Order: sequence, then C-alpha cells, then structure tokens
Amino acid sequence: MKTKSILHSDPFNVIITGVGGQGNVLASRVLGNMALAKGLSITIGETFGASQRGGSVMSHLRLSKKSSVSPLIPKGKAHVVVALEPTEGIRILKEYGNPQVSIVTNTRPIHSLGVICGDQQYPSPEKMRQWIESLSKQAWLVNTTDAAMTLGNPIYGNIMMLGIVVGAGLLPLDRDDFQKALDRLMPASKIEKNLKAFDIGAGMAAGNC
Amino acid sequence: MKVLGPRELFEDVQNSGLCIGCGACVDLCPYFRNYKGKTARLFTCNLPQGRCYAHCPKCEVDLDQMARYFWQAPYEGSALGPYREILAARRGPALEGDSFQGGGVVSALMVYALQAGLIDAAVLTGSQGMFPDARLAVNPQEVLECSGSKYAAAPTMAALNRAVRDGYGLLGVAATPCQATAVSKMRMNLLEQNDFKDPVALVVGLFCNWSLDARRLAQFLCQRIDLQRVRRMDIPPPPAGTLVVETDRETLEIPLDQIKPMIPEACNICPDMTAEWADVSVGMFEGRPGWNTLVIRSQVGADIVTAAIEAKFLETSSLPAENLNRLARAGTAKKKRCLTTLRQRQLINHDGDGARYPLRIPEDIAKRLLDG
Amino acid sequence: MSQLLDPQAVTRLYMGNEAIARGALEAGVAVVAGYPGTPSSEIVQNLASVARERNLYVEWSVNEKVAVEVAAAASFTGLRSLCTMKQNGVDVAADFLLHLGLSGVRGGMVLAPCDDPGGLSSANEGESRQFARLLELPLLEPGDFQEAKDMIKWAFDLSEELGCVVMVRSVTRLSHASGDVILGELPSVEKKANFKHRPLPQDPQSGPMHSFPVPQKHQAQQRKLERAVEIFEASPFNTYEGPEQPELLVVTSSACTLYAREAIDLLGVQDRVGLLKLGTTWPLPPKLLGKHLKSAGQILVIEEVIPFLEENVKILASEMVLEIGPKKIMGKRDGQLPMVGELNPDLVIAALAGILDTPYQASSAGYAEAAAQVGEAGAPPRELAFCAGCPHRASLWSLSRALELDGRDGFVCGDVGCYSMAIFPTGFQLTKTLHAMGSGIGVTSGFGKLEQFGMGQPALAICGDSTFFHAAIPALVNAVHNQTNATLVLLDNSGTAMTGFQPHPGLPYDAMGNEAIPIDPVKICESLGAKVRIQDPFDLEQTEKCLLELLAERDGVNVMILRKPCALSPERKKTKDFEMSVDKQACLGESCGCNRLCTRVFKCPGLVWDSTSQSASIDEVVCIGCGVCASICPVGAIKKAEAAK
Repeated sequence: MKTKSILHSDPFNVIITGVGGQGNVLASRVLGNMALAKGLSITIGETFGASQRGGSVMSHLRLSKKSSVSPLIPKGKAHVVVALEPTEGIRILKEYGNPQVSIVTNTRPIHSLGVICGDQQYPSPEKMRQWIESLSKQAWLVNTTDAAMTLGNPIYGNIMMLGIVVGAGLLPLDRDDFQKALDRLMPASKIEKNLKAFDIGAGMAAGNC
Repeated sequence: MKVLGPRELFEDVQNSGLCIGCGACVDLCPYFRNYKGKTARLFTCNLPQGRCYAHCPKCEVDLDQMARYFWQAPYEGSALGPYREILAARRGPALEGDSFQGGGVVSALMVYALQAGLIDAAVLTGSQGMFPDARLAVNPQEVLECSGSKYAAAPTMAALNRAVRDGYGLLGVAATPCQATAVSKMRMNLLEQNDFKDPVALVVGLFCNWSLDARRLAQFLCQRIDLQRVRRMDIPPPPAGTLVVETDRETLEIPLDQIKPMIPEACNICPDMTAEWADVSVGMFEGRPGWNTLVIRSQVGADIVTAAIEAKFLETSSLPAENLNRLARAGTAKKKRCLTTLRQRQLINHDGDGARYPLRIPEDIAKRLLDG
Repeated sequence: MSQLLDPQAVTRLYMGNEAIARGALEAGVAVVAGYPGTPSSEIVQNLASVARERNLYVEWSVNEKVAVEVAAAASFTGLRSLCTMKQNGVDVAADFLLHLGLSGVRGGMVLAPCDDPGGLSSANEGESRQFARLLELPLLEPGDFQEAKDMIKWAFDLSEELGCVVMVRSVTRLSHASGDVILGELPSVEKKANFKHRPLPQDPQSGPMHSFPVPQKHQAQQRKLERAVEIFEASPFNTYEGPEQPELLVVTSSACTLYAREAIDLLGVQDRVGLLKLGTTWPLPPKLLGKHLKSAGQILVIEEVIPFLEENVKILASEMVLEIGPKKIMGKRDGQLPMVGELNPDLVIAALAGILDTPYQASSAGYAEAAAQVGEAGAPPRELAFCAGCPHRASLWSLSRALELDGRDGFVCGDVGCYSMAIFPTGFQLTKTLHAMGSGIGVTSGFGKLEQFGMGQPALAICGDSTFFHAAIPALVNAVHNQTNATLVLLDNSGTAMTGFQPHPGLPYDAMGNEAIPIDPVKICESLGAKVRIQDPFDLEQTEKCLLELLAERDGVNVMILRKPCALSPERKKTKDFEMSVDKQACLGESCGCNRLCTRVFKCPGLVWDSTSQSASIDEVVCIGCGVCASICPVGAIKKAEAAK
C-alpha cells in the first residue's frame, strides 16, 4: 500500500456541502468508497434528518491512514470544499476554511425560504465569486446543474464535481478509484452515465479556474 | 389625512377594541375577513400604507378635511350635519311589498335608483339567521330581501369592495354613519391612485345611535329564542326601553339595559347620529309608524328625491318642529358622548405629536361640543 | 445495494447504525423491535432488509414501550433480541425497563438507544445514559465505528452472562457518521423459541419472569451489576493511551473520544495528556479508574450532554480519596465544557488549550477577518420548511385562518412529527404548546376542562397518523370520557414521515414489507364516541368551513382527519397532478390587495419572488404540482393545468 506519502496532511479533510435533497450523502458515499478503494481509511460525519426539510447539510470526510478519526472536522481545517450550492460553499469556507483551502462549487442557486419570501437577499454571482476567491487559495466555479441536465438529471452534477476535484488533482484519488466505488455502490446499468459525468467534470477541471 | 398600513390598523383598531365590523377593510385583499360579525386579520401584511387603513372609519378621520372635500365648507359640528331639507317621507305606491319597518324609504330609493339606471347595483345589509351580512342587490327583489332594520353591526362595506372588484361603477349604498364615513374616505382616493374612479353614485345614510356586537347579541338571544326563526327586530321609540325580537311564533321584549352592555366601544367614539356623509339620510319617525325622517343633503340627494316622488316611489310631508328639535338634541348629545369618551381614553387629537387618532376634529369645535 | 451481509474480514464503509445492525447479526440476533427516531432508525431498516435471509423478525412497534416488550418476550424464550430508539424513547419504555431490570432476561437482550445531543433532530437533548443508573442496568458506549459493531456483539454475551438487559448507547456522530469497519463472522445459529415458565430446580433459566419478591429481586439485580463491574475492570473496550503520569488525564467515552484524540493531536500535547477512554460507563470500574486517577495531575471529563460520567467519576474519586489523594476533576460543572448542546473538536480543543495553557488558533487572523467581512450576506441562513406540496402546509393554512375567523384567541397544541414545524413561520407559527408524543391531544383535553375557570379560548390539537397510534389514543379516551370540548385534527399523511417514511399500524404492510392489518383511525375515533369528519386538506375552502363548524360546537370531542399522502411518499413522488404557472400580468405582486401572499406568507419553496418582473413565479425544479397555491391567489394569477399522465 503506497499510502504513506499520498496524503500530504493526515487526516485529509474534505467537506461536501449543499442543501438538503441535493444528493450530499450519495456524493460522500462515493468519495468515501473511492478512499477505501485506494487503501485509505475514511471517516464521514453527516447531518441528516430535519435538515432534509430545506436546510443546510454538510458531510465531513476525513481521509487518513487511521480508522475512526473525529467525524467532525475542527474549524479552519478543511483542505478541500465541494459545494453543491454556492452560498453553502461560502458558509463552509467562513467556518472551516483557511488560506490554503481549495473549493469546487456549483454556481446554480437554491434559494432559502428567506430569500424566496423576500426577507433576505441572495448574493449576486459577482459578489459570490469575489468572496469565494477571497476565502480560498484556488476556486473552481461551474454550473454543474445545467451541465448535468444534458445527461438528464441534476444529480449527475454531483458526480461531475467529483470529476473536477480529481481532475484538478486536489485529492490523492483517481478515476480507477471512482470506478471501483461505482462498482460497489451502483447497479451496472447506471455506471456508464456516472463515468461520463465524471469525465466531463475532469475535463472541466482543466478548463476552469 | 394620514394613511398608514395594516399593522397600524390592527394595532389601533381591531386590537384596541375599536373595530365596528363595518367591512371597509374586508375583501380588499386576503388579509382581512369578516366572519359572523367580527373582522379578523388572517395573516400579517407589512405594507406601510394600505386601502384598509385609508377606508377605516376609525382611523385618522379628519372631519374638517372631509367636510371641505364633500361640502366645500369647514366642519361645523352641527347637530345633524349639513342639509338642505328635512322632511317626513314614506314609500310611494310604485314600490310593491308590504313588510317595511317604518316608511320603507331606503328600499324605495334603491329600487327606484336601480330601475332608473342611476345605479347598477345596491350595497345593502341582509341577514343570515342572526347575523347581518353584506349583500349586493341588482334587482328589486334582492333589494326587498334586505329591508328591515338590523341592530347588529354589519360588514356591509365588504360587499362594496367586492362590487368594485367585480367592475360595478355606479353603486348605491345604504350605510350607517360609520359605514358612510368609510365610503366617503374611500371616495377621496387618499392613496392618490392614478387609476381610481369613484364607483359610488348614491349614498343613503341610516340614522344610528348605537349598534350591537353581533356575536354577543346572538349568544344572548340564542339562550332565549330559536335564532333561525328571528324575523324582525325593533327598538320602539321611548319610553318603551326595550328591544323587540319577533319570530313566527313569539315576540320577545328585552329591557334595553340588558342590551346596552353589548354596544361595541367603537360606537362610543362615533360623533355621527344621522349619517352626515351621505346624499340623503333616513331614520325612524318617532310617533308616526309607517313614516321615516328624510334628510336631504347633496344635489344628488335632492335630485333623486324629486325624481322618486315624480315616479311615485316616494311621498313626503313636512316634519314638525318638535321632531326636528328632538332629533337635533339627540344628534348633539351623541357628539358630546363621543368627545367625552375620546377625552377619557386620551384619544383626542393634539396636533403635531405624531401619534395616531381615530378622529381629528378642530379644537374649537371639540371644545364647544364638550363644554358647551 | 446492501453491504450488510458482506463476508467476514472485509473492510466496509459503514454508517454507525449499519455497524450496530451488523453487530447484532454477528451475534445471531433473532428479533428486532423499535420505533422510528432520529438518529436510530436505520438500525431497524437495515435489519428489516435482510430479515428473510437471516431469519429475523423485525418490527416497527407502535411505540417504544411496546418495542421493548416485544424484544423482552423474545428474550424470555431464549432468543437474542435487539431494541432500538432515540433518546426519549427510553423515557417512554422506562416503566417496563424498570421491571425488566428486576425480572431479568434469558436470551441476550440489548437496548440500543441513539441520543441526539444538541437536539439536531429532536425537541429535546435528553439523555438515555441516566436511565442505566436510574434503572440499574449495565451501560456500554462504543467509541468508534468498529466498536459500534464489536460492542453490540459483546453486549449480547454480557447480557446472557448477567441475565440482564444491556444498554449500548450511541450518539448522532456515531450513528449517522461513517467509518471503515472490518466485518466479523455471520454465524448460522439455530433459533428456537421456548419460554420455560415452569420453574425447574436444576435450571436457573426457568420459571416465571417478574419482579417479586421485590427486595430480593432488587438485590439480585445489584449483584448482577457487581458482576458486571468485575468484567468491566478487564474489558478491552476501556483503553488508555498516553504517559504513565499524565499532567492531565482526559476521561471520556463515545464520540467525544474522537474529538479528544484529535484535540490532543492538534495541540501536540501527547506527552502531557493521557486519554482514558471508557466503553463501560455504568457501573464504572473503580479499580481501573482509581489506577488512572491516582497517577494523574488533574482530570478533565469530556462527555455529552449532562455531566453523567463526571458526577459518577467524582463519586468514586471521593470514595477512594484516601487511596488516590484529592484530585481536581474538571468538566461541565466548572464550566470547562458547556452543559448543553453537542460537543465538537473545537470545544474540546478550547478546554484543553485553556487548561494546559497552550495557544491555539483555528485559522489565521487575516482569514478570520476576511470571513467576518463576508458576513451573513454571503450565506443567508436556511430556515426549515415543509417540502413543496406538503399537505401540512395546506392543513395549517386552513387551521390558521379558521382560528382567526373564529376570533376567540384560539390556539393549537402541537405534537411530534414534521408538523412540529408548525411552531415556525413555515407553519404560520400556529403551534403554541409542543412537548412529547401524543401530548397535543392530552394537553388539549386539559384546556377543554377549564371552562368553569372562565377559559373561553378554543384549543385544537394536531397529531400525525403515526403519533396517533403511538400515544394519542389514551389521551383521546380521556377527552371523550371526561366530556371535554375539544377538537383533534389528525394529519394523516400515510406514514411516519419525519424519520424517513417508516410504516405504522395504519398501513397494510410492516417493517419487513410483509402484509399487515391496517388499523383505521376513523373507526377507532368513532368507536370511542368522537364525531369524525374526513377532509382533503388541499380543498382549502371546505376544510376551513368544516373547521369553523367544529370550533363552534361545544359538545364533546370532534376529530377532523385531514388525509393526504406526504409529498415525499412513493405514491406522490413520481406523479405531478398539475403543471403550475403564474400569469405575470395578473399578478399583483407587492401592491395593496396581495402583498405577495404566496411568497411572503404561504412560502412554499416551489414559489419564488422574481424581483425583476415584480411577480411570483414557479420554480419548476422544486414544484411538485399539487395545485394548492392556485387556490390562495386573490386574483387567480396562479394557474394550474392538468399534467400529462
């Protein structure tokens, strides 16, 4: 197992965040199984239940040589943030970010009830980009929802994000690990489309910054 | 006149026990509704200004501003409001039907106005069992269904609001003093809306000294009588001192002092006994059953009375001086009671303090009415 | 795809609850019973999914008390049984557990409550650990995912050795977190049920199961705990890592172990701090504890939520003071850690850094400033809301209106379920009392008897279908019998929705997907003598009318059943009844006459305020096409067209 040097930090901390119902949990399962496929240990902390009713959700993933580390990442210690919704990405950066953090974020907004009903203002795309860039070392902002719709379902957007993360070399994981994770988690009929989504994402990583 | 919004309306009126349930704020929007005589706020609306406040007869009613608008003269606080003539009147032979309380003048005027095309519909008060309800009558039959005095406060103005929404533009309204005040505020377009068109062609005011809370009255009566069978209610002239309730089986006489606790507080701050903001006003004629007292105020009022007489819908006669004097004394007494209550509740306006008041009346007139 | 039955020796990414389920399978469990409650529900769901293959009986019982009773019965016949619930389920089951402690068990029985520190998905953050001490039952707490599996397996053995039910307590950050777990063997076990109720002198595992005579049974129970202590002294689930004479000894258990370890790492104080991780937390093993307390400079107890472990350690420390010397024991009572809420690595880091006088900064000062500048504008908070198309929104809309129109300052007594959110703006803040399962109608039946004291305000109870069966029926009986004037509004959305749509006795199938007898709440209410009306909550006008009539009636108990399946239920999820659209010309928007009733008050997430066109619009991704919003628009600007089937 060449696990000794692949983690430049141990634990290596990834946060996947979004709005309840976006498929956070699935994305973290996939990433978790990718880590296992690589021979690493993984601990994932998640909040579900009430947060499904339109609330913020986050999954904390800790890639490590050790099993069972804290399922909650300490503040300011995220290495990579994967945001399925841009303001959720900002929310996470504020608490868990640091000058070295990398972030990949979807740009399609999901309005909170406060915004929908006019009590709150949803930030402009320009402002969000500005803030995200001020709070990270490198940032990828992509409308993965729209890209995913070309494959027929917004949920492929999450897989695309994983493709971007891997394609940009942010994680010590590769396409092989992804394939193995798919084999574990999904019926054969779904694998092709997921691989396609992943590859589209990896392609985006090269283009977008 | 100050116009604020539904929050202030709720605070100052419904939540302060000063709502009369006239319906002026009802059916303009989803937020205010009237149910069994009580106006409820269903959800909060946070607009800084609203038609609800603009229409409400208990919100910042500036009597002087209204007088100048409608009568082109300052408010004088006279006993019976401005008028051209006061007569005795009753319906003429052209009006069919026989169950009228008093002279049937209101019904006569409305039926005539409909038939003559002066109005396209009449906003009236009918009743559903014990509870008065707001009606829009478009033919004589529907007008007659609303005849008879109602002693409980009614949300009649809700029908006006609905009629305006449904496109009626020549409305006749039979309105108690508070309702007539609301109609008048509405006609002033206080919110200065560009597309405003006055939908009211005729206001027939109804005399009123006080009314009763519909729910409390229903609760009181349901213990003594079958509410579904109530056909008629009447308060005979003094010295009777009773409320008479008739069903098809029995007649109940209830001493007024059992009834008076059900007078809404809103009536205690009302200065208007004869519906001064109307084209004509109609009331009972004490001592002459089958006749009404008719007050003619505006040109519109004068014209319709003339035409109605000619069309045999109306008959008039002179009003004896004694009746006029008694009426005037009652009118003044109500104004005094109103101002006394306002003073007690510390609701008399003092200019410039930024607070909100139900009524604004020139200081000298208030003084004269209170102390004179 | 289920990985619950994967073979021995492989490593799998398991949720804590999966690990617990796997542990039960490895122990040869036969019967599993529980009541849905976050964060415990996945345990039963996982075991139900393999019930046939592994010869299990798995039940979602009507409530936690019955769940424990069902599990106990299995245990009495010699089968191994598991019972799961969330923290306050133990409160519900406590009376039975009290007596079970005295009667003992036969086949191993494990009670696995999953606590919710911080109340992330609960109306409380009550603790199940206290019940172990109160009811005198042994308590174990897994400290990671591997232990979540291994400890369950061991707990069954322990239960049989002691003849006592064993509590294994988990928390959200274990149950709902995931980690890699090495699987053990799945045994092939013969499961034969026989209740040896006739006492045989030579067989201690025979005779009736009850608590008489009480003092003797109580003493026997206490002996069991003494035996447990002996076992705990040597348990491999109690571990120590760190120097022999630590400057600071951390005593901890459960997920807090992981935070403590991380904190020690991050602060780099491994040579100053010793970590005593306890897996057996009641009764505490005094010898083990004494040894470590004695060699420590000072002690910090880290746990959640209330200072249960801390107080028990202090009792022992005081008993052993002559041996170990006086020690400073810190924790919650002295404010090192908060008395309420969930713990996390940062709170633990702060406590340790303070005690050891070690500086620590989460991130650079510059970053913190940049983050502060972004402020709340960058991430508007997300309030909880009913889903698009939720029948509760429609029901509460009508309820809210009816109460205002009724005009007697009436109010709603709430209950536990998704509709608990009626205390929030999404439910028009309608609920004015909210406590435990079934308490809506209980409290309402109380309010309804206060007329003689001048109480004129009508009280309405709301209750879901699952909650109805769980606890509301006795309160309903009470209301009818005592001639209370009360109205119960039963919000029947055909499932236990809040916790993930588990079945309940009103449905025709059970936890394992087999046929079951559906029990009709209408018939129950009618047979109790309540007057029942059934209404479609999406018919706003009729529902409001019916409610007003019921509110006006003052003659006993009325039940209005508002029946519509949950928006997330399988029946509704795939189908769209209507295609919704907004006529932007007709929409009044913010003007007087509407003021955004749909987006400002009704607040379905499928309706969005478009400030560019100053009108409402439909979010087609979120809208599920229920059509209710078309009924609320004052000018009919919201249109619904039949969707293509």
